[in-house]
Amino acid sequence: PCRAQPKKKKKVDVKKEQAQKERMKKRLKKLEKAAPELIPIEDFITPLKYSESNRVRSLPALSPEESERRVLLLKKWCLFKQKQDEAEKKAIKAVVESQQEALKELHLESEELYEAAIRRDEGLFPFERDGPTHTPPLPGYDPPEGKCIDITKVYTQ
Amino acid sequence: SAAARRPWRLFGAMCLLRLPRITQPLEKEEEEMAALMEQIELEKSLYSDHEMRKLEEEERLKRRKESLYDEDEAHGKTVIMAQDLEEKWEQKFLRFKAAPRITDADKSNDRTSLNRKLDSNLMLLVKQKIGNQELWLLPQVEWQPGETLRSTAERAMATFLGDHIQAKVLGNAPYGIYKYKFPRAIRTEDNMGAKVFFFKAFLQSSDLSQAKLKADYLWVTKKELGDYLKSEYLKKVNRFLLD
Repeated sequence: PCRAQPKKKKKVDVKKEQAQKERMKKRLKKLEKAAPELIPIEDFITPLKYSESNRVRSLPALSPEESERRVLLLKKWCLFKQKQDEAEKKAIKAVVESQQEALKELHLESEELYEAAIRRDEGLFPFERDGPTHTPPLPGYDPPEGKCIDITKVYTQ
Repeated sequence: SAAARRPWRLFGAMCLLRLPRITQPLEKEEEEMAALMEQIELEKSLYSDHEMRKLEEEERLKRRKESLYDEDEAHGKTVIMAQDLEEKWEQKFLRFKAAPRITDADKSNDRTSLNRKLDSNLMLLVKQKIGNQELWLLPQVEWQPGETLRSTAERAMATFLGDHIQAKVLGNAPYGIYKYKFPRAIRTEDNMGAKVFFFKAFLQSSDLSQAKLKADYLWVTKKELGDYLKSEYLKKVNRFLLD
């Protein structure tokens, strides 16, 4: 009598547990089949407060002289940039030609020096440099102290 | 190698560039275009939070003047106006003095200083004795067998500026060449002339106080090179210098 009852309980428990596990597995499969939620790109969503009408700037309309001036300025700019680009390309071409001439002369001189010259310089890249600023650094300048707290939102799929 | 010895002597020269530290001034067209772009951006924009605040406060001030009783005094608190904030920021900006773009060295035209012409490239020129003439040249040294031309150029740099120079040499290949024949008095079958190969490097360390400069030296821009270099040499050097 003591042995029979515990055995039954175990069988029923085992069946119940197996049924539970299968249900959980089915739910997991359903969730996985559903497409993953897309991470919203915050730059492309304009916050709602900027679509209010009282935010629109009120400026006087453009006079025809002003729009004429703008169009002419844009054309001048186009020409300026074209000249600048051509000058840059010409300068680069001159540098490359000069280098080719130098390598030709070197090749006439000695084969091993030429081989050494055309070998790739591994230490050249990655090359980092800080760009020029508007004013040179002020000697003895003490910048104000502060802490930078990053508040970007991180989304997980 | 068992090839016949060439009659040209080889030299390696280093063109050491100090890159610009400040931006070049804008051209007239660039300034006009920048102004136009700003205007267009202003026209296409909406009011920002700060501007909204300013507009609301102006409205409130107007109502206060027109109405008979003060609403804010009823609340009993003093509010900082956006206009006051703007004035405070303006004052703070005016109090800050940036370093001048035209330095003392510019004003005194001290060509040995590195602090001159901060918006253009500066190149190193040294006075060297070639034959029996003292000439202004890019630092050069004769090539010795067993080293590459790049190491010759680096040795030239080290001879004139000391060992503690940090410079980034741009590659193993030479950028230009200057070929010249010796004057007839010295010219022989084996020793016709010399070929000078130029290499380019960027100066990394801005502090050259440790450098022991043994000869007369100058830091000049591309336009000023004409004052010092001979015409043929100058022509070859100008080809590989980008302004």
